[in-house]
Amino acid sequence: MELFLVPPTSCPDSTLPQPSDPPWSPWWTLCHLSHHGDQPKSPLPRSWPGQVSRFCQEMKKSKNYALPNASWGPDMLSLYHEFLEKTKTSGWVRVPSFRSNRDHIQGFKLPLDLSANSDKSDWRLFTRCIEREGQGYEYVIFFQPSEKKSICLFQPGPYLEGVPGFVHGGSLAALIDETFSKTAYLSGEGLLTVNFNIRFKNLIPLGSLAVLNVNVEKIEDQKMYLSCVTQSRDQQTVYAKASGTFLQMHLEEDSSRQ
Amino acid sequence: MLRSCTAGLRSIWALRGRREGAPRLSMDLQPARRLFSTEKVIHKDWALPNPSWSKDLKLLFDQFMKKCEDGSWERLPSYKRRSTQESEDFKTYFLGSALQTQSLWKKAQLFTRGFEDGLGFEYVIFKNNDEKRTVCLFQGGPYLQGVPGLLHGGAMATMIDIALGSCTGGAVMTANLNINFKRPVPLCSVVVINSQLDKLEGRKLFLSCNVRSVDEKTLYSEATGLFIKLDPEKSST
Repeated sequence: MELFLVPPTSCPDSTLPQPSDPPWSPWWTLCHLSHHGDQPKSPLPRSWPGQVSRFCQEMKKSKNYALPNASWGPDMLSLYHEFLEKTKTSGWVRVPSFRSNRDHIQGFKLPLDLSANSDKSDWRLFTRCIEREGQGYEYVIFFQPSEKKSICLFQPGPYLEGVPGFVHGGSLAALIDETFSKTAYLSGEGLLTVNFNIRFKNLIPLGSLAVLNVNVEKIEDQKMYLSCVTQSRDQQTVYAKASGTFLQMHLEEDSSRQ
Repeated sequence: MLRSCTAGLRSIWALRGRREGAPRLSMDLQPARRLFSTEKVIHKDWALPNPSWSKDLKLLFDQFMKKCEDGSWERLPSYKRRSTQESEDFKTYFLGSALQTQSLWKKAQLFTRGFEDGLGFEYVIFKNNDEKRTVCLFQGGPYLQGVPGLLHGGAMATMIDIALGSCTGGAVMTANLNINFKRPVPLCSVVVINSQLDKLEGRKLFLSCNVRSVDEKTLYSEATGLFIKLDPEKSST
């Protein structure tokens, strides 16, 4: 499926993209925007608090995985409750987590001209791929809208093993990318990873608690720049540092579904 | 960081439990088979076709298997679990680590091999020893979704980590990864990851790779990585 060489119909033939064009070139961005009848955007989405509450609303039909279960250890539980308190007192938002990202964007059209064929019910968000409690990713993300930062509490299970007894570097990279992704979207419609950089410092033992601190450092030219420090709860051990760049992309309302 | 790991990995080497994707010459498989034959568990090689493999993936697999016939290329086998013996010995070197309960160890399995056929990572790596490069054929299944319809960036990062690691020799650990995503990968499609060793400086290995479509016309991403060779002789203190 070729996503980028299908030209928006409103663009003249002489400006059709060439195979050598990078997909994030200004040409592509402007064409995308003009196709949807919008003016080039400011970095923030139009209805800010509405965006967060819509993305974070609980879905009646979809299970929310970002809730405690029997596999959560005492460290994970106590930090979770600490942040739950903060959702009542200091504006933090607990981000629900569904089996598919489709549940977060109900009522929106899929981006990039992805067709209805892409919308399959058996597809799962990667970090929710392992169903059995405690075996894979146990995590919950809390987001602070006023500071554009988030914190992810992560308890890795035995199916995430790399070096015996420790978390696979790739599985940590995936969760950092996922936390970036949620933070980027809630902070300004950041949707697709453009760049990802990770420096591993120490191994995370399976079953222990790791805390991911994510910040939006900058928003510029429709790109969001985020950073993440993954460390132990007492901050004595730094497990990894990462940075990511996300492309902002506005999702259209799908009027056919309403 | 490395000191705490070397002692444990020393024992791993001794028992030939290398990181997944570490190069194995066909003659190296003999000692491993002797080790496994003392156990009742049969270790399945997951880097072989199964019914979930698409036509594209099977075709490429066959092309590369042909290249293996003259010995210039070799297919790297891929296992789900370390042997019980390896895990036990590793544990004795890591008594200081918290929360290593008996039950957690027994259930542990390599992250990328924990899915039913076709749902997660379907991949096989071929290595060219002369040119110090590898080719990884990868088909990402429906449980690796990010934006609906697309492969999760983190799943791609996981595969890039594995593909780069497959170009290294012996026990190594990933230090850095840098990935530039150029185009998103449609979910359930096949991609080819070409990796190579660019430079070796002491124990530092500098590697790079690109991720392309089967027809090579689409460049999905480019990445570089720094891996560190672990020295089995180094003391753990």
